[in-house]
Amino acid sequence: MKTVMCILSVLLIALSCSKDGMKESVEADNPEIFLHIPAGFPGLNSSVAENRPTKYGVELGEKLFHEKRFSGNNTISCASCHNPALAFSDGKQQAVGIYERVGLRNTPAVQNMAFMKFYNWDGNILQLEKQPLVPIITHEEMNSSILEVIGKIGTDADYRELFKKAFGDASITADRIYRSIAQYEYTLISANSKYDRVTRNEGERFTDMEEIGYTTFKNKCASCHGTALFTDQSFRNVGFPMNPNPEEVGRGRVTGRSADQMAFRVPSLRNAAYTAPYGSFGQFPTLRSVLDYFDKGVLEAENLDPILKENGNRIPLTEKEKKAIIAFLETLSDPAFIGK
Amino acid sequence: MKKLMNYLILSAVSFVMISCSKNDNNPVANNVSLHFNNTFKDKTIVLGGATSTDASVNTSEKDQVHRLSELKYVISNIRLVKADGTEIPYNVNDLDKGATVVNQAKPASLDYLLTNIPVGEYRQLKFGLGVKQEINTLDQVRFPVFYEAAGANDTDMMWQWATGYRFTKIEGFYGVENIAFKIHTGSTLNGTGGQPETYTQGVDAYRDITLNLTTTAFVGNNTPKIKIKADFDKLLSGRTKISLTAKNATTPSKHSGMEAMEIFVNNIGGDGKEDKTGMFSVESVEND
Repeated sequence: MKTVMCILSVLLIALSCSKDGMKESVEADNPEIFLHIPAGFPGLNSSVAENRPTKYGVELGEKLFHEKRFSGNNTISCASCHNPALAFSDGKQQAVGIYERVGLRNTPAVQNMAFMKFYNWDGNILQLEKQPLVPIITHEEMNSSILEVIGKIGTDADYRELFKKAFGDASITADRIYRSIAQYEYTLISANSKYDRVTRNEGERFTDMEEIGYTTFKNKCASCHGTALFTDQSFRNVGFPMNPNPEEVGRGRVTGRSADQMAFRVPSLRNAAYTAPYGSFGQFPTLRSVLDYFDKGVLEAENLDPILKENGNRIPLTEKEKKAIIAFLETLSDPAFIGK
Repeated sequence: MKKLMNYLILSAVSFVMISCSKNDNNPVANNVSLHFNNTFKDKTIVLGGATSTDASVNTSEKDQVHRLSELKYVISNIRLVKADGTEIPYNVNDLDKGATVVNQAKPASLDYLLTNIPVGEYRQLKFGLGVKQEINTLDQVRFPVFYEAAGANDTDMMWQWATGYRFTKIEGFYGVENIAFKIHTGSTLNGTGGQPETYTQGVDAYRDITLNLTTTAFVGNNTPKIKIKADFDKLLSGRTKISLTAKNATTPSKHSGMEAMEIFVNNIGGDGKEDKTGMFSVESVEND
């Protein structure tokens, strides 16, 4: 009996060892990609801990991000609207998807997603893994379905190889598609602009104009466009011209609170020079036109942001201040990030 | 010994015969059919456009005439309750086998057959108007049949942006000028696997309905037919009396958001607390 027990335990240990060994070998072949948190950035979205980027997870996610077979007629990929050369935005007023169908809103830039608590203009998505399904099935975007996508790419040997490298076996599942795209997006971190190098004391300095702009920005813009992300991630009705589409509710559609009616997420201003036009449906062609609008006065609303209300529904700006703010905003451009 | 063997075989055969005949006369389970009668008060609704002369025209308590051109809602999470209180769930976690879109424009969709319901005496029917949150994720991989049915072009019961199903889609015209209205409802909750404590934002438009059966439904040799009335008069004349205006006639919209939507949801689906019936009632139970 004793001998049997001994043999059994030895076998058991041997089995568990080989299992661990296998896991380790997958990890060695597919190492985790360490996400460096830049100075002054907030902590990571808690979902990142559940879906740590790995070498092949990210490689797969990037390939899927550029996969046009995501759309019903194989013409639109994520990158069609989230163009890497424009900080993953598209330069259009509203997103244009399959069959030139025009979406409800302006394509948001994809950058520093790992640090965001809310996604989209209305913040209806809280975990990046839950986002990819939305464009896949939306009529104006890709007009497809996840089973259709899996059916199209499922026989592709390159994909099967990559899924195996990323997840341990070649099975192509919806969950793995969502996770790998999110992993790729988690690695899209922009924190090497002139602003970053100046504030990190890396030897560069603002010009006089940029310096004036930075001071003005801190006085007149930073209460919303705060933190190193240049957004405090709040939702505000700032009285911008309204989307003529009657289905536009802003964040009210998500929360059901009248206080959130026509409120939108404060957008990050990083790489703003690349992400024109501006506003939830691209109302403003240039940064200058946004500043002119704030200076002139915004639309009245019951739930207008209190800071604007206290200041007579406007942000008064002189000609010089506008030019200086724009000069400062251009220091938020990160050429190394563009075209990543 | 041989004799004993013969007796054994004989008794085994008769046992089999008895069990067979038992199955014929006393099944362990049978079907229950649900029929949905969509009405304005007591009259079944006839759908129609603004110029239709056949469409049912209803007048609300606020004295507003209105008619419907489209009327759809999702029923899921169906349970039958026995006289002793035992709940028999009907594929409550499987939308493919336990959920349906009732569509007034498609007569076949007004009947829903529950199969293999255990024999018993049933006193109550429970179901959800909408889809409970933990499976309201547009998961085509898990529930391809319901996904296909709800997403079909002529059904269109999805909110892609919220990755959830539309729970009701009620469209029509109001007032003497026949102004169009669209009342769409659905949930926007955001959290983990149906755990309410994880929900940090969103609106819950799912309503659990409990109906007492008018007479006991006997499932056995009988296949009871339960007729359920959904009285859409309650849409505007339920707990809250509503006049349709430009501000609330489209939900969600820039004018109304979700607050107006919740009032409509409470009127037709109950508030989920004291009112567990909303617009629903049992018209009859036929044990034939």
